Amino acid sequence: MDTFFNVWHYDGRSAVRRKVEIQTIGRQFFLLENERRHGPFSFSDVEYVTRKENVDVYGLADVDGWRLMLSGPVPTELSELLPAHRKYGGWVDRLGLGKATIAFTLASAAAIAVVLLSPQWLAPLIPSSVDKKLGDALVGDFGGRFCSTPAGDAALKKLVSSLDSNPQDLQVEVAKIDMINAVALPGGKVILFDGLVKQARSPDEVAGVLAHEIGHVREKHVMQALLRQMGLAVVLGGVDGNSGALVNNMLAMSYSRESEAEADAHSMKALGKADISPVGTASFFERLSELDGSARSGDNGQGIAGYMSSHPLSRERKKAFEKSIVKGKNYKPALTATEWTELKTMCTQDRKAKSGFGFDFE
Amino acid sequence: MSEDLTQRHSAFRFHGSWQEFAKIAFPNLLLTIVTLGIYRFWATTREREYLWAQTDFIDERLEWTGKGMELFIGFIMVFLLLGLPLIVIQLISQGLIFRGETLIAGVITLVMFLMLFYLSGVAYFRALRYRLSRTYWRGIRGGSDDPGFGYGISYMWKSFVGWLPIFLLVPWSMISLWNERWNAMSFGPHRFEANADWKPLMKRYLLFYLVPFLLVAGIFTMAIVAAASGDQLGAVGGAGMAVGGIIIVLAILSLYIILPLAALAFYSKYFRLAVGGLRLHQLEFDFRARAPDWILFFLANMAIIICTLGIGYIFMPYRNWKFFVDHMEAYGEINIDELTQSETVVSKHGEGLLDAFDVGAI
Repeated sequence: MDTFFNVWHYDGRSAVRRKVEIQTIGRQFFLLENERRHGPFSFSDVEYVTRKENVDVYGLADVDGWRLMLSGPVPTELSELLPAHRKYGGWVDRLGLGKATIAFTLASAAAIAVVLLSPQWLAPLIPSSVDKKLGDALVGDFGGRFCSTPAGDAALKKLVSSLDSNPQDLQVEVAKIDMINAVALPGGKVILFDGLVKQARSPDEVAGVLAHEIGHVREKHVMQALLRQMGLAVVLGGVDGNSGALVNNMLAMSYSRESEAEADAHSMKALGKADISPVGTASFFERLSELDGSARSGDNGQGIAGYMSSHPLSRERKKAFEKSIVKGKNYKPALTATEWTELKTMCTQDRKAKSGFGFDFE
Repeated sequence: MSEDLTQRHSAFRFHGSWQEFAKIAFPNLLLTIVTLGIYRFWATTREREYLWAQTDFIDERLEWTGKGMELFIGFIMVFLLLGLPLIVIQLISQGLIFRGETLIAGVITLVMFLMLFYLSGVAYFRALRYRLSRTYWRGIRGGSDDPGFGYGISYMWKSFVGWLPIFLLVPWSMISLWNERWNAMSFGPHRFEANADWKPLMKRYLLFYLVPFLLVAGIFTMAIVAAASGDQLGAVGGAGMAVGGIIIVLAILSLYIILPLAALAFYSKYFRLAVGGLRLHQLEFDFRARAPDWILFFLANMAIIICTLGIGYIFMPYRNWKFFVDHMEAYGEINIDELTQSETVVSKHGEGLLDAFDVGAI
């Protein structure tokens, strides 16, 4: 069969370019070059490689560098035997760009939805022994920073028992760290920082914060956040550094805002049950709001700061706690005066506990 | 059949147009977004296919035969074998810091850093090897039989020696690593020879190295002169101070401008020397871009990115390749009959761990 278009061939063994003609015999073909004949080759082994200038380039399976280059109008009987061009890659070429875009968008949305929503029902399925081990592995003895005195421990124990009906699976500690903060960690661990206890004006304030952290434990927020972070890291792992991290943080943040609100609700309920007044906690947030500046932002407080930060604005939280006050209810102090002094001075009394972080950057 | 290159204008020519590239880059951007970044491996492949196919070497276009799937598998392997262990190690070292075991945590972090440093050296090597093994010209490709693990060691110690004498031997380490990398590579039956000399690079390096010192010294002398004149004039002392202030502001601004310019001047000389020391059998190479070309190139890139509000970023692979090809030059002879297929190994998928860990260019 004579060809009227141009065919060039590289045999993959040397760089010599050969002008050839294609001789088709059924599903096979030879390449005729002057007096030489290359082949036979099978059409089923031919692969599309690329298009350069006006030339379609084909290769041959398992023959490195073998090339067949066609230019000009390819006869239909030949082009029917050749593999299709590749443009975007397998799936996209089969579906077309528009449909593929829609399909990918749906799949991505589904993947993100699964990652965001599944921790809520996955977290309770994780056995508490795993949770406990994780907490122990993470915290251990906190580098000897936990404070302990007999009277202080007793006061803390009383506080925890009044706020939770199953205090035996909680491990609440005061750490000798001068920061106004408290954290809930895996395995029912709650750590109050000494800085928070010291600046509190009444045991009721500490009770409110403690109940909030217990809320995180009871609602399995820690494990949820851990699973969600892991899932997002996998799903967004394909996205380039910065934008992925930004999306990740925004998503994680909105969820943690939700968790904070849930923990606050838990705290108010626990305080009510224990007959502890939420006034202390409200005034604690009032003082915090002066620190974080939300007191100054006017009445339309839900500004950018409120949206971006993981904790709801202190002022909002103060209002919520104030609202939960039941008028005429007979509130009693969370701890007696002596117990409160013991708790407050626990870290000063315990000289064995190490202080600070060892590092200053935390 | 041999080609005499000296008679030609330039052995390398680029025929692409940014409009054509846009038809590839925009769908790539769309697909990359809707697949949460996963498509970017196929996107890179499509872009390279186009750029290579638009590049003439003497009388034939280049071919890129890499596959998106290879890069994807490489990424997954890096994620599983490197990313996950790193996350675990980080968790462990955080736990150790919590427990006060800062020394052990520090050692673990140091070992992790060294491991990453070693692997990034290996990755540089394998990225070059991957690119050469997927680049075809007249059906012939390049490659290397060296897996690059030894290069990783060289990368560590040579970089370290470069930094040791207050960073003064960095040019030596850069050139020496370039030579080592390219000496392990081949194209067809021929091995590359890289014999670039590092000493001519020192002047440019010292220029870059001394810029901050010179500027600081300049500020001091000018400030002292200004202050002194202010003192003598007494009444105009304030004006003298103001002049001093303006000088300091100008000096800081010029630090931001002069330092990058000095860095570009150094890099331009480095690349010219490095490419100039490269030989392939009877071919010699040359890179003709000089410092002003590089500076204009980078200013234009920045202008494009800023004026398009960042979208222009997708054209950077095009601009980089065009700049590279436009300034590449080759002299000497190629004997086409002698140029036979490369014997180096190419495994079908991703070539082990880091081949497709496709960091930076040549």
